Amino acid sequence: MIQLTNVVKKFAGRIAVDNLSFTVPRGEIFGLLGHNGAGKSTAIGMMLGQVWPTSGEVKVCGHNIQTNRRDALMPVGAIFEAPVFYDYLSGARNLEILSTYTAPTSKARIREVIEWVGLTGREQSKVRTYSHGMRSRLALAQALLPKPELLILDEPSDGLDPEGIHEMRQTILRLQRELGLTILLSSHLLNEVEQLCTRIAVLQKGKKVFEGNVADVKAARGKVALKTNDFAATAKLLRERGLITATAEEKFITLASGHSTADVTQALVTAGIAVEGIWQHEQTVEDFYMNLIKPPPILPKN
Amino acid sequence: MFLAQLKNELWKLFGKKRTYIGFAAFLLAQTAMMLAFKHGGAQKSLEKLLNGNGYIASEFISVLTVSVIILLPQIALLMPLYVALIGGDLVAKEAEDGTLRMILSRPISRIRLLFVKWSAGVIFAILLVLSLGLIAVGFASLFFPWKGMIVIEPGQGFSILSAQDGLIRFMFCHLFLAMNASVVVSVAFMFSCFNMKPAAATILALTFVIVSLVMENIPFFESYEDFFITHHFKCWLLIFQNPTPWPQICQSEIILFAVSATVFVIGAMAFQVRDIKS
Repeated sequence: MIQLTNVVKKFAGRIAVDNLSFTVPRGEIFGLLGHNGAGKSTAIGMMLGQVWPTSGEVKVCGHNIQTNRRDALMPVGAIFEAPVFYDYLSGARNLEILSTYTAPTSKARIREVIEWVGLTGREQSKVRTYSHGMRSRLALAQALLPKPELLILDEPSDGLDPEGIHEMRQTILRLQRELGLTILLSSHLLNEVEQLCTRIAVLQKGKKVFEGNVADVKAARGKVALKTNDFAATAKLLRERGLITATAEEKFITLASGHSTADVTQALVTAGIAVEGIWQHEQTVEDFYMNLIKPPPILPKN
Repeated sequence: MFLAQLKNELWKLFGKKRTYIGFAAFLLAQTAMMLAFKHGGAQKSLEKLLNGNGYIASEFISVLTVSVIILLPQIALLMPLYVALIGGDLVAKEAEDGTLRMILSRPISRIRLLFVKWSAGVIFAILLVLSLGLIAVGFASLFFPWKGMIVIEPGQGFSILSAQDGLIRFMFCHLFLAMNASVVVSVAFMFSCFNMKPAAATILALTFVIVSLVMENIPFFESYEDFFITHHFKCWLLIFQNPTPWPQICQSEIILFAVSATVFVIGAMAFQVRDIKS
């Protein structure tokens, strides 16, 4: 549904997106992660034909966005950055206005999406009276108006309270489950990404530093939690024996290649160190992201 | 679909309170000018001028005469201000507010979007000019009779017309005034298409008009007056002349149309290549 090939975007000589390539297949919820300024919004802007790539090719729904914007965006719904509307008009009027930029839309369809996002009863109120959560729902309604096949959501939960975040998450899952939409999701909420996405790409300073399945990320060999009465001494011993490469937070060790928790346990028992607990720490997307973005801690020499 | 988009663009435009600033300002200004004309010395001066030239003043100090008198300063000063305000908002305000990103996430082409917006701006300009004329006639008819008409053209002398002939020409002159207003909208719209604040687009458009007006009035540039849009703006007054100088009027209108088209194309080109981002 989305295909970026060697895309570069420069703003006044500064590289915002550097040689970015990835593909979002049909039916997937794809997460785009990265720090502020990593290039996520620029990449989404290019997918929506709002930012022109300096080089490379962006294809949406099989059409080149630069040469065939109309066909590319026809089956697309999007929330791009903050949900902004004409505050002085009603929610329904806003939807009516936005629908005319795609194709003729019946009043029944507008009522349908209003009901779908749970704004029934408030659609005739002016948008200026809406809470942030209601604006987010209205943004989702406008994205759903053209009966899209692809939904591009740029931080849809931004600024929502925990209840609103939960509601948005459930709605996204429902969209994929009930309507079979392909969704590209950009978010800073890593637990949200973990719960929603099947695949992720991580951007750092405009470059893609990772692309893969969330399931693989979670299953990847990560940190091991170790509990002893003297973590520092234990870590020193394990490092001297070449069993670990790093420690973190006074409770995690990273096993050296070719070694297992059994090797560590045996070494500690032999050395007379009581092992109170040792277990494989299940890696979350957040752990993975932080390890990817931040350089790993270096073990002290002594 | 174009008509639906235009209708919605007009909804957006006329849903904003600031759109009505121009209408309200004209209403206030015309009331003030009408009262000043009636109760100040202007009416007496005009009577003196007419009597001195062998005309019966009471036959020509009429609704139409007074309407044109109060239109003159408003057309020159207020009209550009309020149409530039709207023209400058058309694209830049949406870009500033972020609604432009919402629109451009949809499959409408940028050029079509601009054409819809520009058309809405031109419709606003036409309505503003028409309301200006209607308010002027409405107020004047409260104080003056429907009689013959005298039109004084600054630096050009004056024309005398019958009530019927005057009314037809008065209505006709609004066509040209609408063209003037459309040109100012187009200039403001062009600046609005660049990456700038709406206020900056409005100020630049007004600067463009004022610079044209100032240069046109500098004796050194007298032989270049055809190059200044404000010179062509004055062609609406030519409609009251006898005989009417149609070739001159047509030339000015063609030039004004060409200016509008040119600035639209420049704005569209700038908008087409720019990146829309926060």
